[in-house]
Amino acid sequence: METKDQKKHRKKNSGPKAQKKKKRHLQDLQLGDEEEDAQKRNPRAFSVQSAVRMARSFHRTQDLKTKKHHIPVVDRTPLEPPPIVVVVMGPPKVGKSTLIQCLIRNFTRQKLTEIRGPVTIVSGKKRRLTIIECGCDINMMIDLAKVADLVLMLIDASFGFEMETFEFLNICQVHGFPKIMGVLTHLDSFKYNKQLKKTKKRLKHRFWTEVYPGAKLFYLSGMVHGEYQNQEIHNLGRFITVMKFRPLTWQTSHPYILADRMEDLTNPEDIRTNIKCDRRVSFYGYLRGAHLKNKSQIHMPGVGDFALSDVSFLPDPCALPEQQKKRCLNEKEKLVYAPLSGVGGVLYDKDAVYVDLGGSHGFQESGEARPTHELVQSLISTHSTIDAKMASSRVTLFSDSKALGSEDIDNQGLWMPKEEKHVDLKTGRVRRKAIFGDEEDESGDSDDEEMSEGDKLKNSSSDEETEEERDAEVSDKVYVTGRGVKRQRLEEVEEDAEVDLPAFADSDDDLEKSSEGGGEAEEADESSEEEESSVEGERHALEAKAVEGGGKAGLLQSNGVSGSLNVEKTMKQATVTISDSGHCTAEEAFASEDESEESSSLSSEEEDSENEEVVRKKFRKPFAAVSGQKLGSENLIDETSDVEDLLKEEEDYTEENNFSIGTSGALKWKEDLSRKAAEAFLRQQQATPNLQKLVYGIVTEDNEEDGDTQEELGGLFRVSQPARERKHKADSLDCSRFHVETPHDWDLDEVMNSIRDCFVTGKWEEDKDAAKILAEDDELYGDFEDLETGDMHKGKPGPVTQIEDVEEEIKEEIDPEESAKKKHLDKKRKLKEIFDAEYDEGESTYFDDLKGEMQKQAQLNRAEFEDQEDEARVQYEGFRPGMYVRIEIENVPCEFVLNFDPHYPIILGGLGSSEGNVGYVQVRLKKHRWYKKILKSRDPVIFSVGWRRFQTIPLYYIEDHNGRQRLLKYTPQHMHCGATFWGPITPQGTGFLAVQSVSGIMPDFRIAATGVILDLDKSIKIVKKLKLTGYPYKIFKNTSFIKGMFNSALEVAKFEGAVIRTVSGIRGQIKKALRTPEGAFRASFEDKLLMSDIVFMRTWYPVSIPAFYNPVTSLLKPVGEKDTWSGMRTTGQLQLTHGIRLKPNKDSLYKPIVRQKKHFNSLHIPKALQKALPFRNKPKTQAKASKVPKDRLRPAVIREPQERKVCPRLLDALSSVHRHKVRKAKEQRHLHNREHFRLKQKEEEEKLKRQKDLRKKLFRIQGQRERRNQKSSLKGPEEQLK
Amino acid sequence: MATQAHSLSYAGCNFLRQRLVLSTLSGRPVKIRKIRARDDNPGLRDFEASFIRLLDKITNGSRIEINQTGTTLYYQPGLLSGGSVEHDCSVHRSIGYYLEGLLCLAPFMKHPLRIVLRGVTNDQVDPSVDVLKAAAFPVLKQFGVDGESLELKIVRRGMPPGGGGEVFFSCPVRKVLKPVQLTDPGKVKRIRGMAYSVRVSPQMANRIVDSARSILNKFIPDIYIYTDHMKGVNSGKSPGFGLSLVAETTNGTFLSAELASNPQGQGTAVLPEDLGRSCAKLLLEEIYRGGCVDSTNQSLALLLMTLGQQDVSKVLLGPLSPYTIEFLRHLKSFFQIMFKIETKPCGEELKGGDKVLMTCVGVGFSNLSKTLK
Repeated sequence: METKDQKKHRKKNSGPKAQKKKKRHLQDLQLGDEEEDAQKRNPRAFSVQSAVRMARSFHRTQDLKTKKHHIPVVDRTPLEPPPIVVVVMGPPKVGKSTLIQCLIRNFTRQKLTEIRGPVTIVSGKKRRLTIIECGCDINMMIDLAKVADLVLMLIDASFGFEMETFEFLNICQVHGFPKIMGVLTHLDSFKYNKQLKKTKKRLKHRFWTEVYPGAKLFYLSGMVHGEYQNQEIHNLGRFITVMKFRPLTWQTSHPYILADRMEDLTNPEDIRTNIKCDRRVSFYGYLRGAHLKNKSQIHMPGVGDFALSDVSFLPDPCALPEQQKKRCLNEKEKLVYAPLSGVGGVLYDKDAVYVDLGGSHGFQESGEARPTHELVQSLISTHSTIDAKMASSRVTLFSDSKALGSEDIDNQGLWMPKEEKHVDLKTGRVRRKAIFGDEEDESGDSDDEEMSEGDKLKNSSSDEETEEERDAEVSDKVYVTGRGVKRQRLEEVEEDAEVDLPAFADSDDDLEKSSEGGGEAEEADESSEEEESSVEGERHALEAKAVEGGGKAGLLQSNGVSGSLNVEKTMKQATVTISDSGHCTAEEAFASEDESEESSSLSSEEEDSENEEVVRKKFRKPFAAVSGQKLGSENLIDETSDVEDLLKEEEDYTEENNFSIGTSGALKWKEDLSRKAAEAFLRQQQATPNLQKLVYGIVTEDNEEDGDTQEELGGLFRVSQPARERKHKADSLDCSRFHVETPHDWDLDEVMNSIRDCFVTGKWEEDKDAAKILAEDDELYGDFEDLETGDMHKGKPGPVTQIEDVEEEIKEEIDPEESAKKKHLDKKRKLKEIFDAEYDEGESTYFDDLKGEMQKQAQLNRAEFEDQEDEARVQYEGFRPGMYVRIEIENVPCEFVLNFDPHYPIILGGLGSSEGNVGYVQVRLKKHRWYKKILKSRDPVIFSVGWRRFQTIPLYYIEDHNGRQRLLKYTPQHMHCGATFWGPITPQGTGFLAVQSVSGIMPDFRIAATGVILDLDKSIKIVKKLKLTGYPYKIFKNTSFIKGMFNSALEVAKFEGAVIRTVSGIRGQIKKALRTPEGAFRASFEDKLLMSDIVFMRTWYPVSIPAFYNPVTSLLKPVGEKDTWSGMRTTGQLQLTHGIRLKPNKDSLYKPIVRQKKHFNSLHIPKALQKALPFRNKPKTQAKASKVPKDRLRPAVIREPQERKVCPRLLDALSSVHRHKVRKAKEQRHLHNREHFRLKQKEEEEKLKRQKDLRKKLFRIQGQRERRNQKSSLKGPEEQLK
Repeated sequence: MATQAHSLSYAGCNFLRQRLVLSTLSGRPVKIRKIRARDDNPGLRDFEASFIRLLDKITNGSRIEINQTGTTLYYQPGLLSGGSVEHDCSVHRSIGYYLEGLLCLAPFMKHPLRIVLRGVTNDQVDPSVDVLKAAAFPVLKQFGVDGESLELKIVRRGMPPGGGGEVFFSCPVRKVLKPVQLTDPGKVKRIRGMAYSVRVSPQMANRIVDSARSILNKFIPDIYIYTDHMKGVNSGKSPGFGLSLVAETTNGTFLSAELASNPQGQGTAVLPEDLGRSCAKLLLEEIYRGGCVDSTNQSLALLLMTLGQQDVSKVLLGPLSPYTIEFLRHLKSFFQIMFKIETKPCGEELKGGDKVLMTCVGVGFSNLSKTLK
C-alpha cells in the first residue's frame, strides 16, 4: 500500500538546487563555469552597452541599499534595564490569566493563584519581565499599548479573531509598534486534524497581514490539568527571554512608570475629618524610558496631571542575579515581585521596611524557595515569648463559635486596613503596628477606621515589647502586614505557625541581608536627606542626655545598623553579619556592649569637638574627633566646614557612620579603613573647590520668594551670606558682561608670560607639538614600511630599525615592562588605523559616520557619571531608567484611592518641559476604514495622544492649494484631512487615535480615526466659506447695479474691488457704492447680465474652536464601573435622548427628480431661403400619407342642439330594443340546440343497440362453430370429414 | 483640568531677561514681584518694557500682566512664532541687551526669525552687536544652528545717548540641537578687531588700531583690526568711537573684548589711544580667563547644552560670571537641570587662570513650535 501511495521522485529542472547540480556536473566534466566562460569567450558582450542604463542600475541598487537603513539614534538604554513589560492581551475567556500563571510558574516555580496588577519576575540572567494582563476595556487597552514592550496576543482559535484583537493592534500601531507575538489557544477543541491545520494557517496569514509577514504565532495545543503544556510554555518563555526590541520614539523620550504598588500617605486625621479630601499618594515602580527629574510634571492616564512632590530610589526588589558566570539561575535568584497581588516578601519604603507575609499560602511558598528557613524557624520559635504566644492563642468558647484571640479582647473587632501606618513626626521614626487586614474573614467585623487612641498605643506597645524581646534588630522599621494573624479554630500546629510568622519574617530578612551582602542595594535605604537629618537630630538629643539604656536601645542600635550598612556599601565588606545577624542571643550581648561603648565614646568626643560644633551645628562629632586624632586638626576643620555641601552630605554621613562604627565596634581594622576613606574623601574635596556649592548651595527660587517661606525653610537651609547679598542686588543692573575686578598689569613680564602658551606662538603640549608628532610618525612609518616590504623579520631587522630596537631594548631594561607593552600597543593601533584608512576609505559613508558619532555619544553618556554615587548621580542626570523608584504625589483625587482597582494599570507618564500646557493642536487625521460612520465637526471625540486620553471638540478642515484651511462639516471617507482641537501640547510627529466613546461595548470597531500631530499653536486659521448674494436691479451694457448684498455703503466700501460672479459664471468686480437703495453698488462684469441672474461673492469667515479639554478620568470611577466613563455628548445624542427632531428646511429635502419632456418648436424656414435651397434640402410640402386612407376617414359629426337633445333618448330606446332582440334570438338558438342534441343522442343509442345485437349474433355463430369443431376432433378424423 | 504648569515666582528686576527667556522656553509661567519696589521711580523701566514688547512680538498667545505701578509682572508664555519683525529698542540699553535674549530664542521659532532692531548698537554696558556677531554666533554654530540664514548685519551704527542704529538679525530654525564636547579651547591663532567711529574724525579709528596693536603684537603677529567709519545717515544720532577685539583659537573658540567711548555729555572725553590700549588689555584678561566660550556667552552655551537631547554635553569655561551663576540656578528651577561643575586648575603650563568644566545631560528639548510637513 505504502509504496503505491508514495509519489515518484521528480528531478528538479529549475531553481537553485538544479543549478547547483548542473554546475557540479559541469565541473566534473572540467567544463568550468558557463557564465564565466562566456564572459571570457566574448568579453564585448559583457561590456558596458549603455552608460545610462548602467547608471540607472547603479542608482537602483544604491536606493535599495539605503532603503534598509534606519536613521541612527543614540543608544540610551541603561546598563541595567528595567523589566520588560509584557502585556497579555485578548478577549475574555481566552486564557490570559492561565497563561500568566503558567509563565510565572515556568520562570519562578511558584504558583500565584490570584493575579492583580503587574507581576515582575526574573526570567534570565539579564532579563526581567513585568507581566500584566489587559482586558478589553478600551481605556486599559490604550494605556497598556503605550507602555508595552511586548504584547502576547491571545487568540481563541476555535472562535477566530475578535474585534478587540484588531482594535488593540491598531492602538499599538498608533502609539509606536511594540513587539507583538500571537498565541493561539483552545486548539484542543478541534476534532479533525485537517480542520485544525487549516484554521492555523488561515489565522496565521491574517495575523501576518496585520503585524508583518513572518510574525511569530505560538500555538498552545491543549490543557493538562487546567494548565498549558509545560514544554510549550517553556518554549514561549524562551522566546520572550531572548527577544530583542527596537526603541520606540515616545517611550525613549519620556520617563514612565508602570506602578506596581500604591500607598495612601494622607494624614488619617484629615481623612477622618473630610473623607473627600485630596490625598497624598506614593507610587512604586521601575522607571522606564528616559531620565526622570524630581519635581517634574507627570500625567496619570485616567486620573490627570500632577507635579511630582518627591522622588527617591529604592533598592531593587526583584534584582537581577549578580554573577553572570553560571549558565542558569539559582532557585534563589528566580524572584517574583507583585505587591498588588500580595507577593514580594519584603517591601522597602523610604523610611520603613514592610514584611508581607501573604498568608499561610505565602508562607509555604517561601518555604519552598528558601531551604534554609527551617534553621531560622527553629531558632526563632525558641525565642517567641509567652506574651506573644498568649497574644495569638485563641479560645473557642463553644464548639461552633469563632475563636477568640487576645486582639479581640483588646480592640473589640477593630480591623485596620492593610496599608495604614503611623509616622512619629518628631523622631521621624515609623511606629510598628501589627495590622490585622483579613479579607477572608467574613464574620462581618465592622471596618472601623476610628480606632481609639488607647487601643493603638496598646497595640503598638505590646508589639514593641515582643519585638524587643525577640530582639530582631532592624525591627523598628519592620512592618508586619498581611494576614499574619488569622482567626481560626484552636489547632496547635496552625497556631504555632502563626505565632512564629512575624518573627520568622524578620529574621529571614536579616538573613537575606547578611547572605546577599555585597552588592544588593537593599541597604541604600537610608538615602534621603530628611530622614538622615532627623535621625541625626535625634542622635544629638540622645547625646545631650548622655544616653539612657533600656527602651531607647533599639533606636540607637538602629543607627548603628544603618552605619554598618554604609560601611558595607562603601567598602564591600561583610561586616553586617556582626551587627545585624539573626542570632539573637549573641546579638543581644553585642548590642548592649555596642551601646555602652558608643555612648561613652560619643560623650567623650563631644568635648573634643566643642569648638567645631560651634562652627557647624550639623556636623557630627565622631568625624571631627577622629580627624583630630589623625590629621592636622586645624586646617582639616576649615576644609570640612567648607565641605558642607548639599551634594556631599550623603558622603559625609557615610563617613561619619563609618567612624561611629569604627570607634564603637572596637575593631582595629575598621578604623583603618574608615580613615583611609576619609583621607580619600578629603583629597577629593581639596581637588574641587566648592563651585558647586556656590552655585547650587542655595535654593534659588525658594530663597527669592517672600519672607515667610524663607523662615519656613530656615530649619532646613542655612541662610548663607551670598543669599543676603543677592537680596540687595535684586534690583541691580541686568548685564551679562563679566567685568574684570582686579585687572592684571599686563606690562609686567611675569603676567604676560602667564598667558604665553595660550597663543600658537607659545609652547605646545607633548602630544601636540608639531616637531614631536612628526618624529613619532617617522618612527612608526619607518616600521610600517618595513612590514610592507616584508623584509622585516625578527631576527634580521634593517639597520635603522635595528638601532631603534636596540634603543627599545635599552628602554625596556630601564622601564618596567608596561611601558614597552604600551608602546607596542600604540604602534599596533597606529598600524591598524593606517590600514583602516587605506582599505575602508570607500566604505565609510555618511551613514557610517553618523552611526559612529552616535555610538561615541552613547559611550560618553554611559561613562560620564558611571563613577558617581547614585545620590549624586540622580541630581545631575535625574533618576535613570531601570531604577526602582518611589514617587510621592500630592492632591490626588480621593476617588482614585477609594475606588482603587489593582487590575487597572497605573501609569505615571513623565511630560516634557512644556507638555503640560494646552493649546491648539493641528493634526493630520484619517477616519479608520473599519469605522462605520464618518465624523462630524464639533462633535466631541475622545483622543489618545501621548500619555493622555481626553475628550475634545475637533474641527475638520482640508487644505486648499493656496494653503487656506477650509472647514469641513464631516471627515472625508477615504482620505486624510486636517483637524484642529484644543488640547495638550504634544511634540510634533506623535501618533494619536480617536474613539467616540470609551464606555460600554460596541459591536463595531471602536477606533474612529488615527493620525499624526503636525503643528502646535495658540491660534488657528480655519475658515469657512460664506457666500453673499445680491440681485441686479438695473442692467446697462456690462455694468449692473446690484442690491441686496450689503446693508450699508460702508460695507460696500470695505469690499470695493472684490471679485463677484454670477451663477452662470460671468465674472465681475465691485466698483462703488450707490446712494440709494442702501447697500447697493455698481459692479462691472465681463458680459451683460440678465435680470434673472444671481450675483454672489465668495468670502471666508474664520471659525473658532471651543477651548474644551476634558481628560478621561476612568480610574476615578467606582470599581466595576471603570469602563463606563462618558463625557460630553454629541448634539445628535442629546437630540435623541430629549426626543428633539430638527425641522429641515424644505428646500433642502430631497425630492424625486422628474424629467419633463422637451418640446421643440417646429423648424421654420423662411420662404426666401426655401427657394434658394436645393431640392434635396427643401422641405417637402406634400403631407405624409396617413395610416387610414382619406376616403375612409369619417367626418366628425356635429349635431344640432335639437339632435343633441333627442338623440340620446332615441338611441337608448333603440339599443334596448336591439338588446332584447338579441337576447331572444339567443334563447331560441339555445332551445334549438338542445333539441338537436337530444335527437342526436337518441340516434346514437339506437346505433349502439344495433351494433350490440349484431355482435351478439356473430359471437353466437362463432361459438357454435367452435363447439362443433371440438366435437369432431374428439370423434376422429372420419367424423371430421363428415 | 487643563493644568497649567505651576508658575515660578521671583522678586526684583535683576535677571529679568533670563527669567523671561527661560519661561518662554520651558513653558512655565513666571511671576516677578517687587520690581524696584523701594526705588524712587518704581516699576519696570522703558528698556524692560521694550524687551517684554519684543517677546510679545515674537510669540503667539503670551499673556503679560503688569500691575498699575509696574512693580509686578506676570508672564505666561505662548509659543514662539518668529517671522519678519521690526522692533524699536529703547535707547537706554543697547541692542545687545535685546539680541542676547533673541539669540536664546531664535533657533526655536515656528518661522525663521528675521528681525530689524533699531536703537543703540554699541555702548559701554551691554555686549555690542559686533562682539555678539563675532563671539556668540560661533557658539550657536557649534550646536548646529548654522547656515546662510544665520546673519547679523549692522546697517547703521548708533551710539548713546541718541541711538539711531539699525541691525538686521536672522536665524534659522532647528528642531533639535546637537550635544557638544568642548573641552579643549586650543591656542589663539589670530586676533581680529573692529575699530569704529561715528560722527567723529575718521582718524580716531586709526589711532585706536595703532595703540591696540602695540600691546597685542607682543603675543602674536597675526592681528588685523578693521576700521569702520560710518557716514551720513548710517552714523546714527550721536558721536562716539570704540573698539572690539576677537581672538580666534585653533579649535574655533572666539574670545572677545570691547570698549566704547563715553557717551556725549557724560563723563570725560576718552583718548582713543587709551581706549585701544585698555581694550587690548581686556582681551588679554579674557584670554587669561580662557575657556571654550568667552565670558559674555557662557550662559548661552549652557542654555544650549541644557536644551540638547538627553545626551551628555561638556564645555570648558573660564571662571563663571555672576550672571552665569544666576543663570545656572535658573536653569535648575526651570528645567531641573543641574550641572556637574569641576574645577580644572591650571597646570604648570602658562595658560592663564583656572578653568571650569561644565557637564550636563540635556533635557531632551525639541522645538514644539516648528511645523511638521
